[in-house]
Amino acid sequence: MGNSALKMEISSDWGSAEIAVLKVSGFLDFSGIAMLSKFFDRIAEEKWSYVIVDLVGLEAMCSAALGEFMGYRKRFVERGGSLVFAGLSGNIRSKLTLLGANKIFSFYQDVRSAINAYKWDYKKQSKSVAISFPADLALVPPIRQFASRLVRQKGYSVKDAFRIETIVDEVCNNAVEHGLGGAENTVDVRMSVDKEKIDINVSNKSAPEKVAVLRELTKPQTRGTGNHVGTDDKRGRGLALIRMLSNDMDVDITEHGTTVHVIKLREE
Amino acid sequence: MDLIFPYTISVRLPSDLEIIPSIRKFVSEVLQVSGFSAKFAFRSEIIIDAICNNAITHGSAGNADNEVELACVIHRDRVEVVVKDSGGSPADIEKLKEAVRRNRLGLPLPDYEAGGMGLEIVKLLSETIDITVDENNVTSIHVVRKREDA
Amino acid sequence: METQIQITCEEIAGKANARIVRFVGDLDATNVDYVTEQITNYFSDGLVKIVADFKQLRYVNSTGLGVLLHFNKSAKERGGCFKIANLNENVYEIIEIIGAASLLDIYDELNEAVAALN
Repeated sequence: MGNSALKMEISSDWGSAEIAVLKVSGFLDFSGIAMLSKFFDRIAEEKWSYVIVDLVGLEAMCSAALGEFMGYRKRFVERGGSLVFAGLSGNIRSKLTLLGANKIFSFYQDVRSAINAYKWDYKKQSKSVAISFPADLALVPPIRQFASRLVRQKGYSVKDAFRIETIVDEVCNNAVEHGLGGAENTVDVRMSVDKEKIDINVSNKSAPEKVAVLRELTKPQTRGTGNHVGTDDKRGRGLALIRMLSNDMDVDITEHGTTVHVIKLREE
Repeated sequence: MDLIFPYTISVRLPSDLEIIPSIRKFVSEVLQVSGFSAKFAFRSEIIIDAICNNAITHGSAGNADNEVELACVIHRDRVEVVVKDSGGSPADIEKLKEAVRRNRLGLPLPDYEAGGMGLEIVKLLSETIDITVDENNVTSIHVVRKREDA
Repeated sequence: METQIQITCEEIAGKANARIVRFVGDLDATNVDYVTEQITNYFSDGLVKIVADFKQLRYVNSTGLGVLLHFNKSAKERGGCFKIANLNENVYEIIEIIGAASLLDIYDELNEAVAALN
């Protein structure tokens, strides 16, 4: 079987002015380095600082070519960005790992994952997930564990994740206990996590006549005397705990329902 | 409190592969608190994994800011999973349709290493799988899986 | 980023080029890169006979399966092997359902897999 001819192509319409994708396919050996250098000269002339090298159609790469990529990467790091690889096949990944490239370059499954990582690391973009579920306490444990996994996956510490899990648990339990039941009255949870914080919004529908009672229940305890609450006051205890664990919290109660908004900063 | 069936859990998630493990485990736990066996939950996890993976990889027209919608309708005897992407390329949609149509029997084994096994697993693990595409190339995959002992 | 999988390695007495590699967690599209790196490192260190202990591998999807087949092939190309032992029932069934059980070198018990090393 003959080697496929080397092909390269640059694209920049990836929704971010700093990002360029260089697609390299075929057989990249020593003879292809001149072509690579020509393409990187072109990239260097532009304002791009984050270059994703898409290797999805690459059949082989020689160590000299990898050395070239290392040099180019340095250039983009100096511009405040980087050069990363995406779309590596099992064979190419093994080869590059053997050459130690994994210690220098980030590898991503596809171009999209590389762009997502860029936005997270460089643009502090948040990831948002919205979940709607019927008001039933049985469904709260899966929701709170989801919140914990979400932030752990994004690099938050076990301790931060545990506190976030507790906050989500308390807010959702309150929403289920004090909201309207039935399949049509869902509890809506939205979690937006970025590098520095998680923003949690939980809404439930409630009976209009309960507004006054709920407002009374959700009043903050007097500051300075501690957050102690009556031992038989479940709602109050939950809210006090959320206040203690979070950095900001507000409750919006209308005749349509209640929305609790909590911000928890990443501590570790 | 007893859950009232059927009920729906809906999730909007970013079109980002990283999120899939948390989502599929979430659904697995929801199924288990709804009385389904650990084995049923595990197999459903494989289904969620594959179709979300597909929606994110092929169904978002290259835009990382898009969202994928997942809805699980949980009945006593079955679960319906609907995953809607944000609009893929016509070529990807054709490939997907072809993959869904392909007869399970006499199926030539695809190249595992190159990927593309996901949908084949979904077909093997579900009762039905349907695909609809709207005028904006938004694709919905609808999978039904019945409880084994139903 | 937290990976969903942990890999640890253990020597096997009397077999210098073999290792028991324990997988703990989930093997999926989000961590095949990491797993490939680890296993490839073993191969490049001459550890081409691997016994993978899946006792605590909770989950594997099609991407994960692809990478296991790759290890199997890659180890054989280097004159070694990639044996898998102790699979949990759920994981084994998925491998079986899609017809990959016969393509992998699978053992019920870890000691059987170790004994089969030559």
